[in-house]
Amino acid sequence: MTDKNKQDPRLPDETFEPYEANRRIPLPVYWIAIALAIWGVVMLVQTSHSTLLADKERAALDKQDVAANAPVGAEPAASGKTVFNANCATCHGEFGTGSVGAVPPLANSDIVKAGGAKLIAQIAMRGIDGPITVNGTTYDGHMPNFASALDDKEIAAAASYVARTFTGAKDGVSAEAVAEIRKASAGQDPWAGGAELAAATPGLPAQPSAPQAAADMVQNADVATLVSQGAGSVWSCASCHGDQGEGTQTVPRLAGLPAAYIAKQLHDFQQGTRENDSMAYVAKALTDAQITALADHYAVMRAPSGARPSLDGDLARGEQIAREGDWSIGVPACFTCHGPSGFGVAPDFPALAAQQPAYVAHQLAMWAGGSRHNSPLGLMAGIGKALNDADRRAVADYLASLPPVPATPKVELTAMRSDAQPAKETTNDQ
Amino acid sequence: MNRYLPLAITTLAILAIATLFLVIAPGMQIRGQGAAPGLQPYTEAEARGREVYISMGCVYCHSQQPRATAQAPDAERGWGRASVAGDYAYDAPHLLGTMRSGPDLMDIGDRLPSQGWQLTHLYQPRAISSWSIMPAYPFLFEHKDKAAQGDVVVKLPPAYAPETGVIVANQEALDLVAYLRGMRHDYAPPADGLRDDGYALMAAQAKSKTEAAKSAQ
Amino acid sequence: MQITPTLGLLLALSFVISLIALSILIWAIANRQVRTPDQDDARTIFAPGEGAEIDEHDKPHHFDPVRAGIDASSARPVLWLVGAAVFWLIYGSLHGLAASLELHLPDMMTGAAQMTFGRMRTVHLNSVAYGWASQAGLASVFWIIPRIFHTRLRHAGMVKTGIVLWNIGVAAGVAAIASGWTDGLEWLEIPWQIDIILAAGAACFVLPLIQTARARKVHHIYVSGWYFLAGILWFPVLFVIANIPGLHWGIEQATVNWWFAHNVLGLWLTPLGVGTAYYMIPKIIGKPVYSYAVSLVGFWALALFYSQVGIHHLIGGPVPTWLVTLSIVHSVMMFVPVIAVAINQHVTVARNLWAFKESVPLRFISLGALCYTLASFQGSIEALRSVNSITHFTHYTVGHAHLGAYAFVSLVMMGAIYQIVPRATGKQFPFPRMIMWHFWLNVIGFAVYFLSLTIGGVLQGLAMLDATKPFADSVTLLKPYLEGRSLGGGLMTLGHVLLAINLIALAFAKRETTETDNMVAAE
Repeated sequence: MTDKNKQDPRLPDETFEPYEANRRIPLPVYWIAIALAIWGVVMLVQTSHSTLLADKERAALDKQDVAANAPVGAEPAASGKTVFNANCATCHGEFGTGSVGAVPPLANSDIVKAGGAKLIAQIAMRGIDGPITVNGTTYDGHMPNFASALDDKEIAAAASYVARTFTGAKDGVSAEAVAEIRKASAGQDPWAGGAELAAATPGLPAQPSAPQAAADMVQNADVATLVSQGAGSVWSCASCHGDQGEGTQTVPRLAGLPAAYIAKQLHDFQQGTRENDSMAYVAKALTDAQITALADHYAVMRAPSGARPSLDGDLARGEQIAREGDWSIGVPACFTCHGPSGFGVAPDFPALAAQQPAYVAHQLAMWAGGSRHNSPLGLMAGIGKALNDADRRAVADYLASLPPVPATPKVELTAMRSDAQPAKETTNDQ
Repeated sequence: MNRYLPLAITTLAILAIATLFLVIAPGMQIRGQGAAPGLQPYTEAEARGREVYISMGCVYCHSQQPRATAQAPDAERGWGRASVAGDYAYDAPHLLGTMRSGPDLMDIGDRLPSQGWQLTHLYQPRAISSWSIMPAYPFLFEHKDKAAQGDVVVKLPPAYAPETGVIVANQEALDLVAYLRGMRHDYAPPADGLRDDGYALMAAQAKSKTEAAKSAQ
Repeated sequence: MQITPTLGLLLALSFVISLIALSILIWAIANRQVRTPDQDDARTIFAPGEGAEIDEHDKPHHFDPVRAGIDASSARPVLWLVGAAVFWLIYGSLHGLAASLELHLPDMMTGAAQMTFGRMRTVHLNSVAYGWASQAGLASVFWIIPRIFHTRLRHAGMVKTGIVLWNIGVAAGVAAIASGWTDGLEWLEIPWQIDIILAAGAACFVLPLIQTARARKVHHIYVSGWYFLAGILWFPVLFVIANIPGLHWGIEQATVNWWFAHNVLGLWLTPLGVGTAYYMIPKIIGKPVYSYAVSLVGFWALALFYSQVGIHHLIGGPVPTWLVTLSIVHSVMMFVPVIAVAINQHVTVARNLWAFKESVPLRFISLGALCYTLASFQGSIEALRSVNSITHFTHYTVGHAHLGAYAFVSLVMMGAIYQIVPRATGKQFPFPRMIMWHFWLNVIGFAVYFLSLTIGGVLQGLAMLDATKPFADSVTLLKPYLEGRSLGGGLMTLGHVLLAINLIALAFAKRETTETDNMVAAE
């Protein structure tokens, strides 16, 4: 440190070779070493807690999966009620009374009386698409199929519950019989209204004949190419959204969404009011006529559910949010706007049932963050912000567990677009 | 310390112990897991595409290991469920990656299964996403006057399309896309799948803290 | 799940073994200092006993390596290594700069596969890791080992063969990577066929060092010697085991990959850098390092803890939880050896700040040593689960890697080059001011580089953890920081060019007629 130590910086004393002085280890080094060692042991203990906790959570998720697939326990009657209330009552009512002019009743229904639990199981397995007459009133029947959402035991329990409780039938239907029905229904279209049901089941009351239009529509050739092969710079729709429009991960299910909703989203992508790079690319290359045709194409598409809970969401919590909302955080029930069972309410409220969970959770997050901002009245932004990460995953997973929406029948499309009502329900909730 | 041999032996012994604990013991455990049920071996095209992925150095920007929901919102981004050791049984070399300059690709085949999209994106990522910093790979494609029989033509917007003729994917591009489309791990993970569960406790603690705050209100 | 508790126990045991080993070591040191039969031994270590026939008693540690003909024996291999290292430094820096530019100018170089980011970046890593840092470190090793052992370098011809093989290996490896032929594992990209050449080269370095160590004229091995002799054994073992083809696959291979990739830093580049700093700092200042006892703790704790930290690169990944925790715990325990080295090196510098001002090589080296402390502290903290969730997968990690490999290892090596080359050649650097320019370009360039990536990386990580932000946000917010990184990298590269110019000019400069000159010529 003194001047005599100074050396020419480029020519220090070359004869000095380094060595170590003989000093003790400073005390703080001991303290630090001991403190770190204790911390390390604590970490190891914490890790063992963490692995045990993760195992427990995995087991709980597994159980939840099992529960979602087979909640039917020892008492079929009681669990039939549970399945019915969770899946059927949203439309048919808790007491099977239906809804005047829209949803046929089950209680004292002549069809249920004639067909019994077996017929209910057959309907649940394939859904209905066509006019059906119940107790003398003709309904425009659109019922989803529950084949992907419920297993044999659940369908058996619910069908037996309906037949016994609402029509006083003595016999239910066994899970084995439902398994047979499932086999027979595989790959079948929905029942084309009461007429097809009547043809298959003797003893039903007179049914209206099914309109041909509801079955196979002649496809617009342009749209068919667009969907399956793409055109110009546009990729094929099906290459991401799937051959049946069922979606995958953050690519949404399109099958059965309201035509007006699909068209609005495509226009929003085109104009930049909804942000998504890939969809903006596609939408900008589409003409208005193509957008309309594509919207119709997907609106009438029927497809089994391609979604299943996959975000480790808490299904019970998700069901609570979807059916009741959570007023402690200011979130209304999803179903108040998006329709019973999340089947959607045209034109503004898309179906949520069987939607891809990653898509739903991601969109909720995008609303929360402001990257998506094209919902009517900005309603979804508030909801998105109120839900936390776990809630988003919970509700997305629950919605993915629901049966898919019945498609909009082609014949109704024109009518729906012309007298599209403004969303009258939107303001009711807040 | 003044003797060389003990120094050499001790240092190598320490390395041997580290190898035992870090490589051999976990290696035995991982090997015991085997392939996850539901995992498909790579097809020939996918394996060739994987080689292209490796040689282009995709791994330096793209990880292949979605995190658990307890740690990060990977699943919400559509990157797939948290992966387990058994999902990688056919991977040599492994391509877990350490960077996410781009998104995770473990389930890219599930999230973006479109061959057309992938080809456009490989040819020029900025044709789709203006903000993308991914390299373009024009050298995996060919500029032809006219597509021949069996050629896969890349769909391009006018701004990026050649003035005349078409852009056709060569075999390497097609293989790479085959590999990407095959990257889907949408089967259920095995119940005893191995992965880092160290975040479960932290997530549970954070959850109970928010719940306590909520109930206190 | 039955196997996990057993393995967990086993791995917990590993940590306990490390702790017990450390305790025994500290206990032994403490007791020896009090009163042990080893007292005499200790005295011979520290004081006059060594080389008494050479040294005078009142100047026990003064020894003239020039007069003893020691430097002459090692000058040629050292200069070869320095030349090759600086070539790879320039080559690697240019590739690094190009890769950095490509990240914010993605359409700049898309003409050929050789120029794509994935290859540019990999060529950069392999040329600076194996071409620059390893060879510059070896230059220090071959310069310092004969000096601290007071004997000339044995088998210098074998070393030269090693240098040729090594450079052929690096060149072939880099060419292979650029053309798309790679093993595909980070830090192990060079195809294993080419690795055989590198392994042969490495073997040619090991034997001369062992022979020189065995022929040493001093009883005591100075602390630099421990690091060098351990490192030169660790590296070939690591390198060969990690490169054996076909042995591992899947996740098991990932653990091998990171076991190697972190050990190549911790058990190879770090010993080279720490050992060089341990020699150069007291050498230039002319004062002993602070404490022998502390240096013992530093060395053995590094060996015990650093060797098991690799799996912290896989936190949150598909590897057993216990394995990850083991690496995290060992990463944090790295505070112990780093603090020990910091005490020994920084205290010596801090008590002699005048030298920091006087000697430019010392500036490089002691700043590098300081960055070793910082990089290691940062690494320990980065390994914590809560921090890692944010920083993993982001450019923060790249910043950290450069703090270690560049600000620590490379700065120390550059300082060593400025210190060694004039003594090995007997010529002064023709442009001394350029050395200052080099220093400040590197310091400022690296500060810009590091701050850009650290801040940008944290923001990137936070954006990726926030589900309400689209992934695109994590990319767009990063762009200005990537540009900052290119700017910093450009300044650093410019500094390297100045180093190369100075070296080339020195090579062509006329030799001053000195005694040294005759010694070199005589060799």
